[in-house]
Amino acid sequence: MPRFCHDFLQRLGTVPGLIMLGLVLFWTIGLIVLPQLSMLDFSFRANLPPSEVGGPNDVHTLENYKYLLYGPEGGSQRYNSVDLKVFFRTIVAAACVTLFDLVLCYPIAYYLGQTQGKHIRVLALLLIIPYWINEILRAFALRIIFGETGVLNGILVGTGLSDAPFDFIRNNYALYAGLGYAYILLMIFPIYNVIESLDRNQIEAARDLGAPWWRIHARVVIPYARIGISSGCTMVFMLTAGALAAPQILGGPSSLWFTQLIYQHFNDSSNWPQGAAYAVVLLLSCIVMVLAFMRLFKVSMGDVNK
Amino acid sequence: MSQLGSRIGVQIYLVIFFAYLLGPLVIMSVTAFNSSSFPSAMPWECLTFDWFRSLLQDSRIMNGIRNSILIGAGTVVLSVLMGLSGALVLMRIWPRLRATYYTIVIAPILIPGVVLGISTLVFWDRINRLLGLGPGSVLSNGLFLTILGQSTFIASYCMLVMVARLQRYDETLSEAALDLGATPAQVFRKILLPFMRPAIVTAAVLAFLASFENYNTTTFIFGEYPTLTIELSQKVRYGVTPAVSALAFIIVALTIFIALANEAIRRRRELVAAVRSGASVTVAAGGRVTLPRIFSGNISAVLVVAMAMGTIVMIGTASVYRPDQCIADLRQEKQLAAQKRAEELRRQRDAKTGGTGENVGIDPVTSPAAPPRSQGGGFETVFDPGVLQELGN
Repeated sequence: MPRFCHDFLQRLGTVPGLIMLGLVLFWTIGLIVLPQLSMLDFSFRANLPPSEVGGPNDVHTLENYKYLLYGPEGGSQRYNSVDLKVFFRTIVAAACVTLFDLVLCYPIAYYLGQTQGKHIRVLALLLIIPYWINEILRAFALRIIFGETGVLNGILVGTGLSDAPFDFIRNNYALYAGLGYAYILLMIFPIYNVIESLDRNQIEAARDLGAPWWRIHARVVIPYARIGISSGCTMVFMLTAGALAAPQILGGPSSLWFTQLIYQHFNDSSNWPQGAAYAVVLLLSCIVMVLAFMRLFKVSMGDVNK
Repeated sequence: MSQLGSRIGVQIYLVIFFAYLLGPLVIMSVTAFNSSSFPSAMPWECLTFDWFRSLLQDSRIMNGIRNSILIGAGTVVLSVLMGLSGALVLMRIWPRLRATYYTIVIAPILIPGVVLGISTLVFWDRINRLLGLGPGSVLSNGLFLTILGQSTFIASYCMLVMVARLQRYDETLSEAALDLGATPAQVFRKILLPFMRPAIVTAAVLAFLASFENYNTTTFIFGEYPTLTIELSQKVRYGVTPAVSALAFIIVALTIFIALANEAIRRRRELVAAVRSGASVTVAAGGRVTLPRIFSGNISAVLVVAMAMGTIVMIGTASVYRPDQCIADLRQEKQLAAQKRAEELRRQRDAKTGGTGENVGIDPVTSPAAPPRSQGGGFETVFDPGVLQELGN
């Protein structure tokens, strides 16, 4: 270690080298590792008024995690069915949204990656533009469309397809459409980047050997695009499961997203340790899902984020 | 035949896909010009520019923009510095530590933003208490917390950009400079930094955009510095007006403008490079109307100019055009419709009660349209039943 530091300082000069090492230490330790550990520790503590913090009552407890499983003490139900349902719904829905995005984006990424021509650049430009628009505004745009007096209901009622406005928001259609919409580009670009580098001759060869189009995809393109697909899926899943804006804006009144529970613990009921415990659960389940995913696709951490 | 079929299929798929992607933005932009007080495009009422005016008068939005820029600037500085240092360390770190180090610095991209916000809040709150500082100290200041919280993951993006550039750096350049007697600090300042400049610029732009957009992390730590995104989310969640659409329209237009300008510059550079390498561009202008040289074969540049002109025309129209007459007509129409509805309700109720109670009929609730008010605010039709239903969602 000292040798590395010595080498680093010699390479960059003592003063810039020291500043940079300091910054990296601050970033990794002070911004990444310690806050996470601090949150983890905090999630095991009881919710105390400020005067009792550090006092004899400030001990570690499993209370906050128990709450997620069993609900309030002396509650009528055996399990905290409300919160648990929200949790599993979030995970399952996030997985479904990821799958939906993958199915939707794969053909586009393949087309963009394997077609030559000037119009590809225009299409790529068109893809990037929505990504620059604020997340809140994108959710808002969908709300205009799916709202009770929105465009979609206007069309449905106007053309006589339906005689009463359909409540897309209460039925969560708006939420799923919004979540799928929000992170769609993070699915396209990784797959596109990989497919672009696929040699067309491989596809030609497969075709010449008589493979039908679906087998070309199954045997040539998808195995090649594995890294792109897995990194796209990872990003979309993590972002969807951790989304807060879209559920707040597009979610129905009766259905919550797990992040909204966390938000409520922090902002409405100001039970921070409880919220921290939920955040830890979210983080851990996301990590487990991603690791399972990387195992499934046989990719390593270094391949993600390419 | 099947080739043609599949090509048409691809075209249809592309159209549907881009409609899904861009349609919502187009519709949202259109609602900024509709006089209806709830953002909607379908029952088109009157063309108006009032929402832009009410946007400019909204002090919370303006304050949010100021905070966003302040926080964005801080985040850009901090995360570009950390990203650059992080990338340089990654290049030189002890090989056995490299994988661990890489996992740590990449992790913030994968950690949910909500978790980052919470951990920042909890950690600095604890440090604050440990040091015995009061609730008003720097460490619990929204500006400080937001910059740190956002930089945690934005620095990772910056680092990825820097690493991509650093991988193409030729170490022999540094060695040559060192051999020629330069100090390491000089090598850093005069060779490495200029080489990294494009990556630094890209990273700074990315960092600013990411900071400007961020909601999940910021929402836990903004304190007394609500950013534009926070203000927008408050507005969208509790009662929307088309002023939000107006802001969205401005952002969409700006985005397209910048994207086109960027594309135009790139295309221009390519053309210049083509000319330099001996190819000729004069073919493009042969025989037809000759455009100035910058525009030949550069559609983006033409579009940029067209958009700029369109903006000028729009602002000009907005300062002259007055939709008052149309709005007044519409209001009258609505009032008539509401009166008719109220009468009908009254008749129905009378029929039900069999005319027993005369006083039941006069109920203020049955006339949903409040009498028109004369001020030019955006709230005349707040009492429309449709609006209430929307808010109730």
